[in-house]
Amino acid sequence: MSKISAADFVKAFQKAHPEAVKSIESTDPRRADLVVNNESFIDAAKSLRDNFGLLMPVSGGAIDYPDDNRIQMIYYLMHPGSRFMLTYRVDLNRDEPKLPSLTQVWDAMSFHEREAHEMFGIEFDGHPNMIPFLLPPDWKGGHPLLKDFKGEGQQ
Amino acid sequence: MNSNSLISGTLANLVQADQFSLMNIPSMVIEFLALNSKPLLQVLLLPGLGFILGFAIFAVWFERKFLARAMLRVGPYYCGGRAGVLQVFADFLKLFMKEIIIPTAIDWPFFVAMPVFLSTIPSLALLLIPFASNWVLWDVGSLSLPMFFAIMGIAPLIPIFSGWASNNKYSFIGAWRVAYMYISGEIPLVICAAGVAIMAGSMDLVKIVEAQQNMWFAVPQFIGFILFFLGIFIESERTPFDIPVAEVELVFGWRTEYSGILFGFTMMAEYVLFQAWTLMFITLYLGGFNGPVLMGMPTASHIFWLLAKFFVLVVFIILLRCVFPRLRMDQMIKLGWKYMTPLALLNLFFVIVMKILGVV
Amino acid sequence: MREPMIEPDVMRISWGPQHPMSGQTRVLLDVDGEKVHRIIADLGFTHRGIEKILENRSFFSGIIPVDRMAMVDTANMSIGYVTAIEKAAGLEVPERAKWIRTLVCEMSRINSHLYAFGLQAESTGYFPAVFLWTTVDREVLLDLFEELTGARWSFNHFFPGGVHHDLPDGFADKVLKAVKYLRGRFKDYWDAMVENPLFENRCDGVAILKPKDALKLGATGPVLRGSGIDIDMRREEPYDAYGDLEWEVITEDACDVMARTKVRYHEIGQALNIMEQIAQSIPDGPVKGRVNAFMRVPEGEYISRVEAGRGELGFHLFTNGTGNPYRVKINSPTLRNMYVFERLAELNEVFVADIPVIINSIDPWYLDSDR
Repeated sequence: MSKISAADFVKAFQKAHPEAVKSIESTDPRRADLVVNNESFIDAAKSLRDNFGLLMPVSGGAIDYPDDNRIQMIYYLMHPGSRFMLTYRVDLNRDEPKLPSLTQVWDAMSFHEREAHEMFGIEFDGHPNMIPFLLPPDWKGGHPLLKDFKGEGQQ
Repeated sequence: MNSNSLISGTLANLVQADQFSLMNIPSMVIEFLALNSKPLLQVLLLPGLGFILGFAIFAVWFERKFLARAMLRVGPYYCGGRAGVLQVFADFLKLFMKEIIIPTAIDWPFFVAMPVFLSTIPSLALLLIPFASNWVLWDVGSLSLPMFFAIMGIAPLIPIFSGWASNNKYSFIGAWRVAYMYISGEIPLVICAAGVAIMAGSMDLVKIVEAQQNMWFAVPQFIGFILFFLGIFIESERTPFDIPVAEVELVFGWRTEYSGILFGFTMMAEYVLFQAWTLMFITLYLGGFNGPVLMGMPTASHIFWLLAKFFVLVVFIILLRCVFPRLRMDQMIKLGWKYMTPLALLNLFFVIVMKILGVV
Repeated sequence: MREPMIEPDVMRISWGPQHPMSGQTRVLLDVDGEKVHRIIADLGFTHRGIEKILENRSFFSGIIPVDRMAMVDTANMSIGYVTAIEKAAGLEVPERAKWIRTLVCEMSRINSHLYAFGLQAESTGYFPAVFLWTTVDREVLLDLFEELTGARWSFNHFFPGGVHHDLPDGFADKVLKAVKYLRGRFKDYWDAMVENPLFENRCDGVAILKPKDALKLGATGPVLRGSGIDIDMRREEPYDAYGDLEWEVITEDACDVMARTKVRYHEIGQALNIMEQIAQSIPDGPVKGRVNAFMRVPEGEYISRVEAGRGELGFHLFTNGTGNPYRVKINSPTLRNMYVFERLAELNEVFVADIPVIINSIDPWYLDSDR
């Protein structure tokens, strides 16, 4: 497994995919943050897996910014050689959050995308198994982790 | 007149004779009891109802206490003094008074009948075991060894029927696990028993025991001895072979749907089967009731020796329960077909060679 | 539930919540005879919405729900959250408090691994002898917890800036005595379980997870280390006193259920070594930094990653200058490992009888996968 420090990774990725990157930085020797544009979401992910060796999927979640009218979807990835963590982020429109599913690149994101769909209402295209996950089967509606969630079944 | 026939000729004569009148009934009863005391004692006490039920109660209590000690617990502690001796009675009483829940979608004649059969059919086989040379309740002469295996061959059908009748996926899996296990496990046992019969020269259990007066058959047939010992575990579904009732995988295997006294019967059935097979094992390989005569009473000391060997073996088998994990189904089938059956045939071959050469 | 359709000739068993061994979850098994074609994990039975709860609580009182994310392993859960808050607020933790935290975390780790060990034994049909032995041995640790913190299970001992109570008098000696007792029992477990030929029969060669698959599927904790990959957050991102102590990362190469059991077993040994080192040479000093129960934290994001008993636990904390966090994202180890469990039926030939053995080698604790 190759070793590449987080700072070098940031520089290398910026040089390889300048058009995909909205912002990229490394604030800590073990962390890197990358925000991509929606169009090059899947291609940049494939490049991360194949060229830069970020093989390990860790987790995935989202965060709701109602003031900016956006939901940011964050995927956490890890580099098994140098053990730094990359947060791979993409901004979505809050009224209609849609995103191609990242399970085509890393299989294990399946559970996390199901949870994000339930909690935030993000639609993932091409997810193999989008069935209810954590919420009870008689859930009356509503996405709990949105900031304007008032209760089950009340909108 | 056969000394074992319960309805002796005296009673039949009396009923037909002219002297029959109501005043004669007490003396008829006393004469009946005096003439048939031994069969009655056998049926009620040993090896009949008293022995089977008494052993079931004792074994359940002993197992719970023994296993508890191995697991750093105390076992039954409150009911009946610090030893908890009345716990088993309390449990049976409770089970009698519980509701028997019968789901609508099951086949209820089979469902209700099977546990009852499972407790009683092995008892029938147990009556064949000789406790002394003249203390056999069901004396069929030279058919006793095949009769035992014939009756015990019905025993695996009962869990299969009850598993199917329960209409439950877990029971269904438990049912065909029973089928697989008995198919792989029973054939080596019959071959081993055939070896014993050849060496003794007869299929009468009393004669097999008497042929072991000089040397127990465990010594020349040590392969058969080990295989039949494994057979006790396989046939009575005890750990490490309690695969059909693997509680951590299938909730309770073919016993899942039973509640109330039917559940009590299925639990008791395990001990009745265990008792029958252990006694058969002792009869075939450990010399049966042979042993030095104590205090000049041959019948009573024979019974004592059989029970002593039985008790030692029961303790050992219960000890093995807390030491070993369970086998998997494919490992069990592999064991039965790849190891046990060829070894049993090898054992049979040795026995025939030894018999031809006149060694034993 | 709209589950995937059942294929023909296959029976779907719901290894469900009403089961002696399933834990608080339902696993659907598509079974053909004894062979399992497909495993579908149905999580969410213990979902409490902890991430939403934490948004409405102050930082101090948020530690209480986080503790309840794993009852056998509470210290490692709360250390993650506390570390994230400390990074966010820029708080300094006194040296003695760091060593006490490490002591409590390692005791929790032993607790968790003993529990997993006992369940592993019970799942092979080893009529719960070893499980009850481990329960008795855990009592030793739980008594120590009670003396130190006042509670046996989910003690809220850590807060951002230090720990609540200092060690009572004579505690170090008690820790050393407990270590000696556990080391003696430790050898018994090896003889009774790992060297037991029937146990090896059930566990060797079952559910092999090759290193490449382990990385690709996102395994973590002993599941990953049992496949030969040495990733341990206590070494990668040393928090508290792990950088000052001597210990090793345990890996095994066999990649099967037995390897994971051995990894947990040796990790208990390492944890006992750490406990001994701490009890013998803990530095003096204060245990609480400068704290304010209603602290406000400047705006920003901070990720903390710690090694819980089950694997890597991550807290991604978003703050916005108020007294409550803006969002807390919890990266749970069990959720990652349950995905590995689902895919094991495709990588190996799995029997129904293997399912409890495998599931207990993955060691899930559904309270932290469901949050």
